[in-house]
Amino acid sequence: MDFNFTREENEFREEVINWLKENLPHNISEKVRSYKRLSKEDYEIFMKKLSQKGWLAINWPVEYGGTGWSTIQKHIFEEEIVKANAPRIVPFGLNMLGPVLIEYGSKKQKEFYLPRILSCEDWWAQGYSEPGSGSDLASLKTIAIDKGDHYLVNGQKTWTTLGHFANKIFCLVKTNSKCKPQEGISFLLIDIKSSGVEVKPIITLDGEHEVNEVWFTDVKVPKENLLGEENKGWTYAKYLLTHERTGIAGVPYSKSAIEHLKKISSTIYNNGIPLIKDPIFSSQIAELEIDINAMEIFNLRTVSAASEGKAPAMESSLLKIKGSIIRQKTCDLLRKAIGPMALPYISEQFDEGWNEEPIGPEYVGKIAKQYFINRKISIYGGSNEIQKNIVAKSAFKL
Amino acid sequence: MHFNLSEERQMLKDTIDRFLSDHYGKIKNHHENSKLIEGFNPKIWNESSSIGMISGLISPKYKGLGGTGEDIMIIFELIGKYLCVEPFLSTGVMSSTALSSCNINVEQLMDDIISGKKIISFAHSEVESRYDDSYVNVKATQRDDFWYINGTKSFVLNGDQASVLLVSARINGDTLDENGIGIFKINSKDYEIRPYNTIDGYRASEITFNNVTASLMCKDEIAYNCILETNYAAALAVSSEAIGIMQKCFDLTVDYLKTRTQFGKTIGSFQALQHRMVDLMIEIEQAKSSVMLAAGTYESEKNIKYRNVSAAKNLIGRVGKLVAEECIQLHGGIGMTWEYNLQNYAKRLIMIDHLMGDSDHHIEKFKKFSKY
Ligand SMILES: Cc1cc2nc3c(=O)[nH]c(=O)nc-3n(C[C@H](O)[C@H](O)[C@H](O)COP(=O)(O)OP(=O)(O)OC[C@H]3O[C@@H](n4cnc5c(N)ncnc54)[C@H](O)[C@@H]3O)c2cc1C
Repeated sequence: MDFNFTREENEFREEVINWLKENLPHNISEKVRSYKRLSKEDYEIFMKKLSQKGWLAINWPVEYGGTGWSTIQKHIFEEEIVKANAPRIVPFGLNMLGPVLIEYGSKKQKEFYLPRILSCEDWWAQGYSEPGSGSDLASLKTIAIDKGDHYLVNGQKTWTTLGHFANKIFCLVKTNSKCKPQEGISFLLIDIKSSGVEVKPIITLDGEHEVNEVWFTDVKVPKENLLGEENKGWTYAKYLLTHERTGIAGVPYSKSAIEHLKKISSTIYNNGIPLIKDPIFSSQIAELEIDINAMEIFNLRTVSAASEGKAPAMESSLLKIKGSIIRQKTCDLLRKAIGPMALPYISEQFDEGWNEEPIGPEYVGKIAKQYFINRKISIYGGSNEIQKNIVAKSAFKL
Repeated sequence: MHFNLSEERQMLKDTIDRFLSDHYGKIKNHHENSKLIEGFNPKIWNESSSIGMISGLISPKYKGLGGTGEDIMIIFELIGKYLCVEPFLSTGVMSSTALSSCNINVEQLMDDIISGKKIISFAHSEVESRYDDSYVNVKATQRDDFWYINGTKSFVLNGDQASVLLVSARINGDTLDENGIGIFKINSKDYEIRPYNTIDGYRASEITFNNVTASLMCKDEIAYNCILETNYAAALAVSSEAIGIMQKCFDLTVDYLKTRTQFGKTIGSFQALQHRMVDLMIEIEQAKSSVMLAAGTYESEKNIKYRNVSAAKNLIGRVGKLVAEECIQLHGGIGMTWEYNLQNYAKRLIMIDHLMGDSDHHIEKFKKFSKY
């Protein structure tokens, strides 16, 4: 055991910090910091810069444009981009489809799609969930009928994150209804611009548009867009869901949130005493910090073991459960810290160029909103209840 | 001891339930309210006066028909059930309590409240006051028989529709002193006002006074007592409201668990989820009991009254968070959407912890009034 970063690791951190200073446009980090609505271009500008530097696909093998970084390096990198208020790296192409293509895609598909993900020419969306199929994904109903040179796709996907920015969507579809559900699913790569595809907004409880419904009516999808083999989609889908991800616990977000919490808690007064000195409140902050410190080690322990070839499926469920609870707790304490200042809700505040006086310090406007929207973290990507089922099944062999 | 409502109160409850159901039953989604110019529906407010819903909050001493802790509880539980945004809290509870605690003649203003003629807002919180009852930074100065107010009040509920403001202002002493505060009445509209919706769909305002003339209602000990009485009445009201909301969240979730199917069964058939709902049921019963205790002892001497309201508000803060978060979680994605009504209830439930003192504030108060 050695809890110190090596000299090389510290130098790497410096390199990342310096690169971000020079390459992350100030107006974009300012928008992220103040929780302004981001445009598609905001995400793309940053991802293209990373791509030019060769730092975009940190989880891909080097021969496909990956970085070859160690898990510690990835951890450092992810931490620094959150600290620098960079837009998040949109995961659908890079961390979801990419690894599946590399493992199961044809040579032609890899040669065509991977560079387009790296260059940000394609923005992928994840078309898994349907109105009737969330936790029970295998029950999905979107159907693809074999028409010789193409599939004819009909059905509906939902909760599609940033689908309104996407030009491509990878979908799980039914290609055989006469067998066990898991054995009749295929993995299709669909162009959102095809005729018959319609993307409709879903507004979430914070009043924002980030997720969508995607409707398919007689959409023709060329056969060459089938990934891997027909009716083997479930294997690929599972590979994607359990594919090792260093980020699943969201530790960098929790760390940055607790720093913020501690900072503001020294400026907000309760009965004349700053919150950070308030016996009740400071104990809650301290407990959370203890949780986050432990989580960071738990996370690093797990991903380091993964890189030594151990399967991290069960552990990544544990990390997702605890990581999401901790992230939600940071939002909860931030909300409590600001007291009645959490009440005002001025939607225009989150538009670019809004320059009225905020109510209270500038940072308070986003906090209640963030608390409410981050309830999603324990729902999406397999809810915490489903993660627990996965763990129980594999840990106790019931 | 018994825990039943008297016949009269049961009738009041049924009448209000029907009335709110008629008006609010039609609203599919409560966020529609926040789009109304006034921030609430003036027609509902006026009609509520004629069925006795406002006078139910006010003591017979002022020609009201109620005003006890029990009345506040009954009416506000229903307000929670329907997420009713009319100014029952700002005017019906806070301003009427403030007025009745000033020890001066306020009959005309009370009449105007009961008849639904006037919206009166109590402006005490300031942007940095958090939940401190004695925090007053807005200044009052006297020149030739006239009082002038300077400074900014924050989060003033229904302030944009108020024709009268009751404002706490500092006559002397430091920001946190209990002494040296005055309660002032402002009839003019000679102030700057910035209205906005709150995240839970209510309307509040920032109000800035620049040498605005005001009349003094009371000061020092009476004024501080007036603030305490007002905040505690409001704390009881929103705690009761929370009970109505929790019940609604719980019911929506049980219905959903019974209809949503995954893995070929209703999700309510999964024991893991059943246990979660049973936990909620227990906690809601606890919260309800605590609010009943606070309401039933509201007419007792101050230490007991404040102690029990603080206990209820603390528990409401804890249970409210649990109920809001669990109900969203057990709905899955649907619980996160704007169009599904649960979000309005969940948001209000959480934000009630940001009104009149959060759970931490009230645990301190509970210790204080229990003489720990
Ligand atoms: C903001 C957001 C973004 C999303 N983005 C995407 C996206 O880009 N692409 C995509 O495909 N999907 C996306 N999703 C969908 C997400 O993956 C699903 O919401 C999730 O899988 C849960 O499904 P559901 O919403 O249908 O809930 P349900 O499956 O109906 O579950 C309802 C509740 O029942 C519980 N439950 C279900 N089955 C069991 C069981 N067997 N045992 C115990 N409890 C159970 C669940 O945990 C949950 O609490 C997103 C969701 C959200 C909220």
